[in-house]
Amino acid sequence: MNNTIRDLRAAKNWSQQDLADQLGVSRQTVNAIETGRYDPSLPLAFKLANLFAKRIEQMFTPD
Amino acid sequence: MTTCKTASKRYAIEFGAAMAAYVAAVFVSATLLKTVTHAIIRPAVALLPMVPAVFVIIAIIRQLRRLDELQRRIQFEALAISFMGTAFITFGYGFLQLVGFPPVSWFAVWPIMAVLWLAGLWFSKRRYAGGDGGDE
Repeated sequence: MNNTIRDLRAAKNWSQQDLADQLGVSRQTVNAIETGRYDPSLPLAFKLANLFAKRIEQMFTPD
Repeated sequence: MTTCKTASKRYAIEFGAAMAAYVAAVFVSATLLKTVTHAIIRPAVALLPMVPAVFVIIAIIRQLRRLDELQRRIQFEALAISFMGTAFITFGYGFLQLVGFPPVSWFAVWPIMAVLWLAGLWFSKRRYAGGDGGDE
């Protein structure tokens, strides 16, 4: 699954740790999502969508 | 939601206290076993360290429940590697005992499990880390 999390985070000038703190996950988890090594659960994907005010399908696209 | 740092700190306190109690219980148990001779009381004294060991188990389970979804997956994979690896090694040695290999203490099981768990953590973390992410 591809995603635009890194670009969205960069646009807000947040570090991975900043984003992780807001999501209640570890920085490693944010990194794994950004690099496409881990696809988040639906609840976490909704948290990301709410945080960036986007729809899930705008942030995540199939390979 | 509990932050990762708060969760780690809480785990360190809970696990540390439980382990300290365990070490103390081992010392007390070993000391008492030198003097207690009653056939029924001796097993109870020998099992004394298992009381604080229950709190070690509780601390670990509580920490697993505090982890985020990826950390839980990493732990799951590591524990599966440890579980199956320990079964493989202990069964393998069990078969060797059928052909005369010396018996090994049950105390050997946990170190095998722990080493395989650490190896599993390293293996599983590697799978989700790295790439072009890095620390930022």
